[in-house]
Amino acid sequence: MDQLRKKARELLESGAVKTVIGYGEGSGKAVRAVFIRQPEQTEKLILDERCRQNLAVYLLKPEVKNLGKPAVVARLPVLRSILELAAESQLADEQMVILGISPDGQLLDLAGLKAVADYVSAQSLELPPPEREQLEQIEKKSPAERWNFWQEEFSRCVKCYACRASCPLCYCSRCAVECNQPQWISSASHARGNLEWHLVRAMHLAGRCVNCGDCARACPVGIPLNLLTRKLGEEVFKDFGLRAGTTPELKYALATFLPEDQEDFIR
Amino acid sequence: MSRIGVFLCHCGENIAGTVDPGKVVEAANRIPGVVHSIDYKYMCSDPGQSLIREAIKEKGLTGVIVAACSPRMHEPTFRRVCAESGLNAFLCEMANVREHCSWVHEKSELTTAKAIDLVRIMVEKAKRNRPLFPIKVPVTKTALVLGGGIAGIQASLDIANAGHKVILVERDPSIGGHMAQLSETFPTLDCSQCILTPRMVEVAQHPNITLHTYSELESVDGFIGNFKVKIRKKARGIDEKLCTGCGVCAQKCPLKKIPSEFNAAMGMRTAIYTPFPQAVPNKPVIDKKRCTYYLKGKCKACEKACPAEAIRFDQPDEIIEVETGAIVCTTGFEVLSTEFFPEYGYGKYKDVINGLQFERLASASGPTLGAIRRPSDGKEPETVVFIACAGSRDPAKGIEYCSKICCMYTAKHAMLYKHKVHQGTPYVFYMDIRAGGKMYEEFVRRAIEEDGVKYIRGRVSRIYEQDGKLIVKGADTLLGAQPVEIEADLVVLATAMVANSGAEELAKKIHVSYDSYHFLAEAHPKLRPVETNTAGIFLAGACQAPRDIPETVAQASGAASKVAALFSADELSREPVIAVVHRTAPPIFSICEGCFMCEQACPFQAIEREEIKTRDGKLIKVVAKVNPGVCQGCGTCVALCRAKALDLQGFSNEQVYAEVMAV
Repeated sequence: MDQLRKKARELLESGAVKTVIGYGEGSGKAVRAVFIRQPEQTEKLILDERCRQNLAVYLLKPEVKNLGKPAVVARLPVLRSILELAAESQLADEQMVILGISPDGQLLDLAGLKAVADYVSAQSLELPPPEREQLEQIEKKSPAERWNFWQEEFSRCVKCYACRASCPLCYCSRCAVECNQPQWISSASHARGNLEWHLVRAMHLAGRCVNCGDCARACPVGIPLNLLTRKLGEEVFKDFGLRAGTTPELKYALATFLPEDQEDFIR
Repeated sequence: MSRIGVFLCHCGENIAGTVDPGKVVEAANRIPGVVHSIDYKYMCSDPGQSLIREAIKEKGLTGVIVAACSPRMHEPTFRRVCAESGLNAFLCEMANVREHCSWVHEKSELTTAKAIDLVRIMVEKAKRNRPLFPIKVPVTKTALVLGGGIAGIQASLDIANAGHKVILVERDPSIGGHMAQLSETFPTLDCSQCILTPRMVEVAQHPNITLHTYSELESVDGFIGNFKVKIRKKARGIDEKLCTGCGVCAQKCPLKKIPSEFNAAMGMRTAIYTPFPQAVPNKPVIDKKRCTYYLKGKCKACEKACPAEAIRFDQPDEIIEVETGAIVCTTGFEVLSTEFFPEYGYGKYKDVINGLQFERLASASGPTLGAIRRPSDGKEPETVVFIACAGSRDPAKGIEYCSKICCMYTAKHAMLYKHKVHQGTPYVFYMDIRAGGKMYEEFVRRAIEEDGVKYIRGRVSRIYEQDGKLIVKGADTLLGAQPVEIEADLVVLATAMVANSGAEELAKKIHVSYDSYHFLAEAHPKLRPVETNTAGIFLAGACQAPRDIPETVAQASGAASKVAALFSADELSREPVIAVVHRTAPPIFSICEGCFMCEQACPFQAIEREEIKTRDGKLIKVVAKVNPGVCQGCGTCVALCRAKALDLQGFSNEQVYAEVMAV
């Protein structure tokens, strides 16, 4: 934490960045994102187990962009989000300073996207056992049970789009759900509208999601949305050997066809 | 407000037999927006067309629905009718009530109801149609031909004779390809070089053909009519302008034991060499991987000997940039080497050779001057075993296809051997004899009946060496799989014809697809055999699949005629059914976020990047842009775009949605 504060201070003092996006104390025990713009405010930065929000989401917001060049506190999911955004031409090296954080809270020296990609590739990107178990729980269900499970979950959705707002990869200025000429996805919060929205969201993130889990954390009614995108991410890895957010070059499994791609799903 | 006319065709009894035309016309009249509805026995006939013409003028129609056959059949007809009557051709739609309805259902109320639905769907689409205009693309009337084998030579000559410029690129030091290596050709037994070399010379001398030998394709950008091509002209190590092709350099070169590629390793060459005496151009190259000067820094024997002082050891590779309107890919094939076959000795028996090596033995210009002598000791073989389907038609070897030419050339080889070694005995092991072709079956019969070639139907399981003989163990399946053992002096494997080792890389460079065997893929196996899925790129010869010479030449001429047709106009006119990127007024400009996943997804490389800038040049946004000359309107990008920033003209999201909702 001290390393981080020191580095943030240096960056602001030298004028290398205009703002540092990190974590700070919120109300109660909550942690909130903070945007440090003065060197003396760097004391507000904290780093502990509670700091899990994917800060990459702020990098593309116009309000944050207007603050000037940012430095961003980045644990593994944030690093992967940054790589995925770079692959999708949304971020470039010179646009930010990355304050990479190792799993044990140490500041990493990651100069540039290449270094980030090298670091990420050296990490295990396998699902941790509890996350895999969650998927297996749902995979065990029969299709009818699964349908009922998700219908039940989606029935609570109030279409607040917090899932969309929290996701760094939902960066479209006009979301598909807002397209009303024609209205492919019903915007009403009824059973069909909710199903359409969540399935379209999951498909739009298939193979792009870095499994940070922010959508589920953001959901005010507790729908485990991340399970959908996590499952799709695993499927893409299984079929095409690609994981999102591992390289700054665009390699989108669902946009390319390679002769060696498995086609067992067409039977 | 739309003013739509619906024209229902009876197509004789084809439609009216199962669909009630009166009910369809009546129902169509009630669809909002339809102002005119009529049926007629044959709408495509002259009087039928007149009905449409008159209605457009009299009723002031803004859209026309012809409820008839498939648009594949008559859409061009009715679009032309509309255009002639002053209505934009793309405001005309076909409702397919024949193939999709009357032909596939019994006569019933439901069939009529479906026909009405199909009309209603197209009315909803037509209401949202906008006038579209064909896209004009300029054409550079120069063709690039890749590969100087017989296919490339034929294609180049045909295009050049049609009056267009051709750039022919060949990887090897000389054009000619595999055909130059052959001895005689089936089924006429005329000398391959005698018929080929005049054409090679014609290529070299043709005013419309620029020849780049010892050159490779570096990159291709652009699109039909407007390709930008980079060619790497590899350094020959000589000044081509000064070199007279006298050949003294090769005589003086101290390295004389390099296996000759042209002679399929049956003969030797020097480090500075001309591949064969009739080479075009007749200029040597230095093999930099073997030349002593390049390896050790001294020798220069050729430089000292060259009377024209043409040797240039320090010559660099040259990159040539050209613009072409079409590309013909004629990169040919390779034959499997004998090393591929463990059961036939992994290539370690000197007297087990492949068909191409036999060609060189039998060729008058070959290392033995046409005498059949086995490689190990130079003796004339008394018994020769030819094995057809070596690798081909063998799923276990990963080559499931038939190599097509082997049945014929094996018969030819056996015949040539018999003609040269009268007392010799040729055996042929075969699976089936596939001799489909003009005079082909007769040729095989001649080998069997007149020249006494012994055909044994069965496969060879093993070959091993014993006392200077090759023991060939096989079975005769026509005699109840009776084991056969032949003591042979020479074994010739008709090894499979496979794709060039660089075929995959090439396919990626020129953006064409290829099959699982790495043969380049045609656009349609029957109806578009010389075109690829990339407009302006054509195929000919064995780069596409195994072919013999007549087929290759026919295909090359076919590809050339496609190129000539492409070059016949100054501009290309293309259907405007293409994708467009959403653009709108500031401050949004476009809902495209520039993720460029569409760029990767586009099978035609039609997506470009466009920078949206303020008046003083400040960059606002980089968005996708569709190149109208390249886009084929497949819609892949439209489906992929998450923001729905891409839409397909003529099949817009709005139209498709309206069509679905109309049912």
